[in-house]
Amino acid sequence: MEKEEKHYLYVLIVAALLINAITVSPLIPWQGWTFWSKPTPTSAFDISICNYQFTLPSGGIRAKVSEPVKFVVTSCDVTYGFGVFHKSGRMLFQIQVLPNYGNEIVWIFDEPGSYTIRSTEYSGPEHPFMVLPDAITVVP
Amino acid sequence: MTMSKAPMTLQVLSLRYAVVAIVFLALAGIEGMFMRTQLSNISVNVPGVITIPMTPEHYYAMLTAHPLVGAYGWAYLAVFAAFYFLVPTLTKKPLYSMRLANGHMWMHIVGLLTVWSAGYFLRFGSLYTVYWPLPVVRFPPVSVVAFAVGLALVELSVLCFIFNLFATILMRSEASPLPKGVALHSLLMASFGLDGMVRSLRGLFGRKTALNGGTHAPDPEPLPVFVVAVMRGSIDAVLNAVVLAGAGVLMLVFTLPTLLTGLRLDPLIIDPLVYKNVFWWGLDMIADGDVLIWVAGTLYLLAPILTNRPLYGEQVVRYVILTDLIVSMGVWSHHLLSDRPQPDWMRLISGQFITWGEFFTMGLSFFSVLMTLWLARPLKFNMPMKFMLGGIMGFALGGGSGLLQANFAVNLVMHNTQWVPGFHIHQMLLTGLSSILFAAIYALLPMLTGTGLKSERLSNLHFWLWTIGGVGMAFSMGLAWRDGMLRRTLYRGVEMYLPYMNAATFFGVVLALGFLAFLVNLVRTYGLRTLIALFIPSIAKPK
Repeated sequence: MEKEEKHYLYVLIVAALLINAITVSPLIPWQGWTFWSKPTPTSAFDISICNYQFTLPSGGIRAKVSEPVKFVVTSCDVTYGFGVFHKSGRMLFQIQVLPNYGNEIVWIFDEPGSYTIRSTEYSGPEHPFMVLPDAITVVP
Repeated sequence: MTMSKAPMTLQVLSLRYAVVAIVFLALAGIEGMFMRTQLSNISVNVPGVITIPMTPEHYYAMLTAHPLVGAYGWAYLAVFAAFYFLVPTLTKKPLYSMRLANGHMWMHIVGLLTVWSAGYFLRFGSLYTVYWPLPVVRFPPVSVVAFAVGLALVELSVLCFIFNLFATILMRSEASPLPKGVALHSLLMASFGLDGMVRSLRGLFGRKTALNGGTHAPDPEPLPVFVVAVMRGSIDAVLNAVVLAGAGVLMLVFTLPTLLTGLRLDPLIIDPLVYKNVFWWGLDMIADGDVLIWVAGTLYLLAPILTNRPLYGEQVVRYVILTDLIVSMGVWSHHLLSDRPQPDWMRLISGQFITWGEFFTMGLSFFSVLMTLWLARPLKFNMPMKFMLGGIMGFALGGGSGLLQANFAVNLVMHNTQWVPGFHIHQMLLTGLSSILFAAIYALLPMLTGTGLKSERLSNLHFWLWTIGGVGMAFSMGLAWRDGMLRRTLYRGVEMYLPYMNAATFFGVVLALGFLAFLVNLVRTYGLRTLIALFIPSIAKPK
């Protein structure tokens, strides 16, 4: 291996280690609770999807800022997505919803307000219409 | 270039493939532009052909065909064009079967047109991902059958290509008098990149050969590194073809009984997560195997040809080829980072850490090529050189964004947003892969026809418009991620994403104009009649 190649390889190694260490660490806020601490949720919401239709818990979805809540999403037919969006349009998080599985995620909201649910995975031609505005209410 | 009724030559074969590839690129581009107009809320009505806005069924059928036409029609056939000429030429052997090469080109064309028709006429719109059980739940059985048969023909064509290349290299000839068994052994060693390692170990332990006083036969001349990369990529291509053909068979198993007897099998007896793992393992053999290693191989060939000096760090490159085999087989979980039932350790190790292996393999490949150019200064910036550098830039931009989305933490806020098709896929395929393919076409045309393209001005226009259009479109799409715009989603009546989508449409037009400059140059240089005569020799001008 030539000298220049070795130096270049060292640069690649340092860059790779640095970026991976930072992104695996709790420096990425949600990494703290989705991967490291895994806190016990204060409430859980079961959501089912069948033939393009979301079915939410009968009491709606209400969460408190800074409290971990669990979403359990199931599908009866094909793979969908479950994404939660801020009023500004920004996506907070999303997961895939596989049929035959309980697809779970724990989330901690950091801002009160209303949030939109949208399917984030293509599930057929009606996919673009799978959106529920203001489906989640987060209170202080 | 003139055509006559002379027997098929490697040059004619290669040109045929290149012309068909360019036609498919045009088709993929037209589809792409129709979809851009859809996302920009532009109305277009061509009676009897297309109406924009389309119905969602039509849009998603087009979205299903677009990547398949682009990947298998343009990229694969352009690669076939180059390799069918270069591999026999570099190994100094005739092509194993000219008839097979010509035959499977037609099989490929019929297969792709069948796939395209399944969408356009029968509205099959399961996307190229065909997540189980979507195809058999949502779409008419006849469309599923048409799609599966078309896909099977394309994959069979790919297998024919690989067979033909391997058979060519294994063939005994005066230039390669090795016994067949030895040739096979050397080829397999080279395909897995092990030949360099064995040579190094022998050197380390000082094995004596006939050349330095020993009794062992001297090691055979190593295969050119380009050929090693071609063979290495072929392993991925075979595995990919088998897995995709398997997905097609599964669709047929669940669709044919419904079509023939009305019997409906429960598709969920196939586990969607297991299917997704197997499918992405196979599909990634293209994205993270073929594309990377075949492109790297093309660069390993182009750089020395364009600079007239040996490839810098060739031995390291041989190890890179071996390493990439392992990497390409281990990265598939980066497509399942958002699938929570997939175990954390798989998502982290396969999805993120192994994917970073590509940072090293492609990083070292580019370094080797760029050092070769650097040491050859002053460089002549001809068209292959410009496109090669543009392609490396495209891969660097698209690859970097790919690494970011293939991240355990970041994927949670990025998966299935416009970041993926914008910053990553279109950057990789248009600015990266396509530019490298254009570099190869510009370099090969003089070898195949005896003359390069006539107008340097049009060639330069092609380069600049293609590069600016490709980068601009990728960035315009990708930036829509910030505002939460998803991929594969129509936003009828939503205005917040229009600035991004309108910019993407504008740059798409710039890109198309670049391609048009190339087409005009091609036709002005060789004449439309000559290009058609590649397929119908009887219409060639008499000599």
